[in-house]
Amino acid sequence: MTGGELDSAALALPAGLRDRVLAASWRARPAGQVVPAIPAITATEAFSRAAHAFHELLCALSDDDWRLPALRDLDVQGLVGHLIGVEDDVQRCLAGDPRVGEADHIESTRAAAVRQAGRRPTGTRAEWHAAVTRTVALASARGNLDALVMLHGMRLPVRSLLVARAFEVWAHDNDIRAAAGLPAAVPDPAVLRLMADLAAELLPGAAVRAGLPRPARVHLVLTGPGGGTWDLLIGDEAGRLPVSIVADVIGFCRLAAGRAAPADLSMDTSGDPGLAAAIVAAVPSLALD
Amino acid sequence: MDTLLAARLAAGDDHALAEVFDRFGQAVYGAALGVTCDAAAAQDVAQDVFVELWSHPDRFDPAAGSLRTYLVVAARHRAVDLVRSELRRIARQLRHSRLAAQPRPETPGEQVVAAEMASLVRAVQLLPAGQRQVVELAYFQGLTYREVALAAGIPEGTAKSRLRLALAKLESVLDRQLLELS
Repeated sequence: MTGGELDSAALALPAGLRDRVLAASWRARPAGQVVPAIPAITATEAFSRAAHAFHELLCALSDDDWRLPALRDLDVQGLVGHLIGVEDDVQRCLAGDPRVGEADHIESTRAAAVRQAGRRPTGTRAEWHAAVTRTVALASARGNLDALVMLHGMRLPVRSLLVARAFEVWAHDNDIRAAAGLPAAVPDPAVLRLMADLAAELLPGAAVRAGLPRPARVHLVLTGPGGGTWDLLIGDEAGRLPVSIVADVIGFCRLAAGRAAPADLSMDTSGDPGLAAAIVAAVPSLALD
Repeated sequence: MDTLLAARLAAGDDHALAEVFDRFGQAVYGAALGVTCDAAAAQDVAQDVFVELWSHPDRFDPAAGSLRTYLVVAARHRAVDLVRSELRRIARQLRHSRLAAQPRPETPGEQVVAAEMASLVRAVQLLPAGQRQVVELAYFQGLTYREVALAAGIPEGTAKSRLRLALAKLESVLDRQLLELS
């Protein structure tokens, strides 16, 4: 049995149908819940997975690849040395050493980067791997990942620090891939989701520090596996303007890692265009580099 | 546009579903109403269609067609299922009424059912000849729409529309009967 579709243009929707449909939909699946569901992992696991992927990349590089310019004035080997230095600072941070709290992310690790020059790549790789293994062991042994710590000017819970580390390792993974002419890597959705969560959580503070012209109520939608939906409040409660930003989750994370410019990001925004642009412009300030 | 909407739905974007409803709600409701000829049933169908989209946005494949088409087709399918289910329910009642007409009901409950079914049988007998014929062919003899059309010597579309009209009249009788019994 088939029936003709009525002339929908002339058809008035029954009063209340929209509210009824939306309410039933939210009951069936709460807003913000992604489909397909992403398995939840710990922050320690996210860092461990990022480190594992990075180690696989290092194992695949030729000796010549280690000499390629990668980032700033560092070649690939120097960049891995930078990461060794970061792991050292992370471990001091987790041990309660206050000196790393305000240390500069690049200056503090420069010595570790410089001393890689002339070493065999396998030695650098082994040192980095040992450092990461110690970080993972320290994090796993730590009961409370909600405890606040201070590292390189950031005060954040240990779990967020570990996700930030996963973020940085992924960013440098792609720096090396770009240097070696390899395709970019994408974290698995569970890791990506934690990275996107962290970027969304830190965005309001970054936007305020960047001098947002008006307070905002941001509906942030990051599409693709590992994405999600966040409603963020930025600035004073009074006068918040609604802004909607829709972007691909990988592009957004590249922006947050400082590996893309806002102009590179394909996105849809609604609300005040200037306010939306200012919020997006604040995202790269989350990068540590 | 549809690809982005689907991605937003998958990301849990509640605003996206509201947008989809605002764009396609009328088309979906209209498709359902065109089949059911009943506003309440069409609203149920529309709700089911949008809840299904929100619960399983990954079932919509933008490469296979537009979101509007996907939703309208889903509405028609659900509406047809609903009407078929209702027709089967009425057919069961009609068959029971024929059986119940033979032995004398013993209990008060059986007497109520028998009275109700006797009304239905009378309602079928009061249908216009064309409608009564297709009801008897479809539900007493179990013929498909195509077979009904062939047996009655009418186009299949006419058979369907006669069945739909007959159903509406029988439902009306059922409702009145239930009110009188309550």
